[in-house]
Amino acid sequence: MTPSRLFRVWRHRVRSVSDRDRLDAQLGQEILFHFEQLVHEKIAEGLALKDAQREARLALGNIPLLEDQCRDQRRIGWLHDLWQDVKYGVRTLRQNPGFALIAVCSLALGIGANSAILGALRTTLLAKIPFPDGDRLVLLRTYPEWNPALSNAASIPDYVAWKLQSRSFESMGASIADHSRDFGAEEDGRPAERIEGHGVAPSLFATLGVQPLLGRTFTEEEAEIDHPAPVMVLSHSLWQRRFGGDPGVLGKQVRLSGSNLTIVGVMPPDFHYPLEETEYWIPLGINRFQLQGSARYFEVLARLKPGVSVEQAQAEMDGIGAQLARDFPDRHKGWRIRVQTLRDVWYGWRKTPLATLEGAVALVLLIACANIAGLLLARGTARRPEIVMRMALGAGRGRVVRQMLTESVLLSLIGGALGTFVAWGALRAPLQMHPPLAGQRITDVVVDLPLLALLGLLSVVTGLIFGLGPAIACFQLDLAGPLKESTRSAGSPYRRNRLQSALVALQIASALVLLIGSGLLINSFVRLAGFDLNFDPTGLLTFEYRIPQQRYVHNVGVFQGAPYSAIDPSPTPAIQRVYEHLRAMRGPESVAGISLPPVNSLVLNSLGFSIEERPMPQSAEDRNAYRAVYFLITPNFFTTMKTRLLRGRDLNDFDTAAGSWVAIINETMARLFWPGEDPIGKRLMLEVVAGERPREIVGVVADIPTRRDRAEPQPVIYTSYLQQSPAYRGPIANMFGQMTFLLRTSGDPMSLVPEARSAVAEVDPDHAITRIQTMEQYWGGGMRDKRILAAVLGVFAFEATLLAAIGIYGVMAYSVAQRTREIGIRMALGASSHKILALIGGRAAILISLGVLLGLAGSLMLSRLIASQLWGIQPTDPATFTGVSLLLIAVALLACFVPARRAIRVDPTEALRSE
Amino acid sequence: MPKPSDLLQGTVDLLILRTLSREALHGWAISKRIQQLSGDVLSVQQGSLYPALHRLEQSGWIDSEWKDTELGRSAKFYALTPEGKQQLEKEVDSWKRLSSAVGLVLKKA
Repeated sequence: MTPSRLFRVWRHRVRSVSDRDRLDAQLGQEILFHFEQLVHEKIAEGLALKDAQREARLALGNIPLLEDQCRDQRRIGWLHDLWQDVKYGVRTLRQNPGFALIAVCSLALGIGANSAILGALRTTLLAKIPFPDGDRLVLLRTYPEWNPALSNAASIPDYVAWKLQSRSFESMGASIADHSRDFGAEEDGRPAERIEGHGVAPSLFATLGVQPLLGRTFTEEEAEIDHPAPVMVLSHSLWQRRFGGDPGVLGKQVRLSGSNLTIVGVMPPDFHYPLEETEYWIPLGINRFQLQGSARYFEVLARLKPGVSVEQAQAEMDGIGAQLARDFPDRHKGWRIRVQTLRDVWYGWRKTPLATLEGAVALVLLIACANIAGLLLARGTARRPEIVMRMALGAGRGRVVRQMLTESVLLSLIGGALGTFVAWGALRAPLQMHPPLAGQRITDVVVDLPLLALLGLLSVVTGLIFGLGPAIACFQLDLAGPLKESTRSAGSPYRRNRLQSALVALQIASALVLLIGSGLLINSFVRLAGFDLNFDPTGLLTFEYRIPQQRYVHNVGVFQGAPYSAIDPSPTPAIQRVYEHLRAMRGPESVAGISLPPVNSLVLNSLGFSIEERPMPQSAEDRNAYRAVYFLITPNFFTTMKTRLLRGRDLNDFDTAAGSWVAIINETMARLFWPGEDPIGKRLMLEVVAGERPREIVGVVADIPTRRDRAEPQPVIYTSYLQQSPAYRGPIANMFGQMTFLLRTSGDPMSLVPEARSAVAEVDPDHAITRIQTMEQYWGGGMRDKRILAAVLGVFAFEATLLAAIGIYGVMAYSVAQRTREIGIRMALGASSHKILALIGGRAAILISLGVLLGLAGSLMLSRLIASQLWGIQPTDPATFTGVSLLLIAVALLACFVPARRAIRVDPTEALRSE
Repeated sequence: MPKPSDLLQGTVDLLILRTLSREALHGWAISKRIQQLSGDVLSVQQGSLYPALHRLEQSGWIDSEWKDTELGRSAKFYALTPEGKQQLEKEVDSWKRLSSAVGLVLKKA
């Protein structure tokens, strides 16, 4: 068909619908014109006007019929039929408002939630890496062979070897977090400010493929080993905030944490790497010792050569890793390299929770479909006479099926329209999710056109899915039978019942899967919330005070694979001054400090130790057991935390550097290393460093959970911040110059902030306090994810249970109604109500147990998927599985109660007379 | 005058298209023209003429326009569209094939 004809045809079709009245009027005019011509002709033949008109009318025949025949030529039959079907569908739905309401609501929830989650998944898959050709960017990370689930950054020897030996990459760059730096308070009134930045290899910018907005990035010479050049590049936000967007900022010297740096460049506004909050970059400051070190702190980013796949790069890196392990076993043995796309690192984490949610909402939609299909089937039985009549009168099967499908699609479209609101609400859930370290937050999920299109498509498909079964059931109608017989015993009820029963079993099974999933999540959430923290998080203000580590940490070498640092000059007196000042505050009831946040710290320092008069085990593995988490604390720490002291004493003001050195251990450490013994008075040696002295254990305290995601407590050693040697072996040397202070109050902890801020500023105006939050925020921040997920799944599980209950109620009620006559006969023959109950209940029991078995099997397979979201509970927790199954069985039995009662109340005479 | 014979289904379309190939006409004129040209042998009844016109219009073969007649009365005039002209050629061809085939059968049988 030519385009112009196509256009013409469609113009007619559209007009036929939109301009019907005018077309009809014109049709009348046209016929009238013909009539007048006829009359004229008759008059010309010599007839009188009246006779001519009569003759003409006779000649034209039935005018309305002629007009109808003309109208029938308009090609809108299908549209007309559709309109009729829709009208009819609306009418039938309005006759069953209860059914329509349940169906539309469950569809709205199912379709809306599915669209939202699928939409979020879609944006995750399509999310753009904001660098040119971003899909060629990969992160090269390492992991120990004994635990591939771990993911570490790279050491400097790794980086150097990879860069030298690999052929898969166009370029490669490394970065490492610079310890936060402080702008001091300026004379013009700008306050002290702490900013986060990264040390980067000059090649990193080229690898990312970005140019600075102003000035330049670094040259290779500026990253000279041991002597990085004192230059820096600013982020756009820092440039705007601190320098008012002054284009003359290039070449300016700024004083940052006591050192002078020259600004050489400013990056464009949308450049954030490696973190959103990175505000400056300095040349990567590698020292001579790190060239031999095995500490894996450097994030290596590389750009694949065009045409090289991630798998090819992985294969090459596997070879390089194996060679390194052979050449330098002490540094590289047992470590492997992982090539991971930047996209995967940034956005990959979303897949698991989104897939979990999608699984849940897909199940809800499935249940809703099964439910509505069941209800439609049952209703189809009631409508059978109507359908048979229509078919007998000549309606084609296709036409009847189309009409039934129109009804179900109509239902699901209404559901989908309401689902838009559900989707809009549900989209907030993914926005709330917390990304893990290095992951990017979801910010880009909105109700947009593709999402609405998806919603519409989902609605139509859903309607077709649940409408098809009942519609196909029409084909199985025996046309002659039902008209002759009464409707009740007609058709093939058993086949229909089987389909209905299968649908109900499916609903029960799906509901059980959801219930068990949410049961596990809720269970672990309750455990987590009710977990004995052994401290009281309410009324505690926390903040961090930190002296830049450049001031006191001097890397002097590597000892047994870890950096060895001299701590000089000791930052302790400065910390002590701050602590004394905070103690002098009026507001808090008690004040204490600890080197790293006591719970949920991103970094935890662990230290090897030995016990006096106990030989160290020979094997390296057993020796590894002699490690504990290590914290420096001030006196009053346990009082302030309200942690129970199980034995011995707390630190006090007499535990000074000059006194005898002491330690406090936690319960787990006492249990692990002194089972059945009293550890008080025993002596510990921390990893041999110059100036370290044996420490006497003076107290045992209850376990404070170090990580919210770990149920098993770890051994912990606490020592006084005053009793420290001037040397340290390990990666976290900066813990000596920082304190997380805890201020306890009976009032609102945040009200202490101004006083605390000025107390610190009086001692040290150059270092502002940071990370100000209440301990409840600290502990609870990550709980929110679990709470949201548990709540969402809980709502879905509730909905699913309700739907399954309605489903089983429907099928039981229908089956009782269908068997009324049979029951009547049985009762007339003397069957007791027990027998009748067994008859009805037996079927219900089969359905329920089939559903529960299916559901349990499904749960066993699926619950592993949420294992990472669980805390202190196995994904196959027998208690949850049993409890939830019993709950569902109880609900299902309850749903059978009414139909069963109706069955035993059947009046035999009434039942027999009814046919 | 013998009663004009009824037309085969399908030939109506052909006749209408052919009649319209010279000029735009209204329904009355089309029926008159067919009768006239066939020497009063063929007559298209209103009962098939108007549905046929509407069908041809919906199929895009002809277009319609309201115009005044010579006597100043407003009427609906139909005219061939470019596609209608091609359609007419096709139908004429197939009609010729059909009639010659029928002619052959009549001659040889």
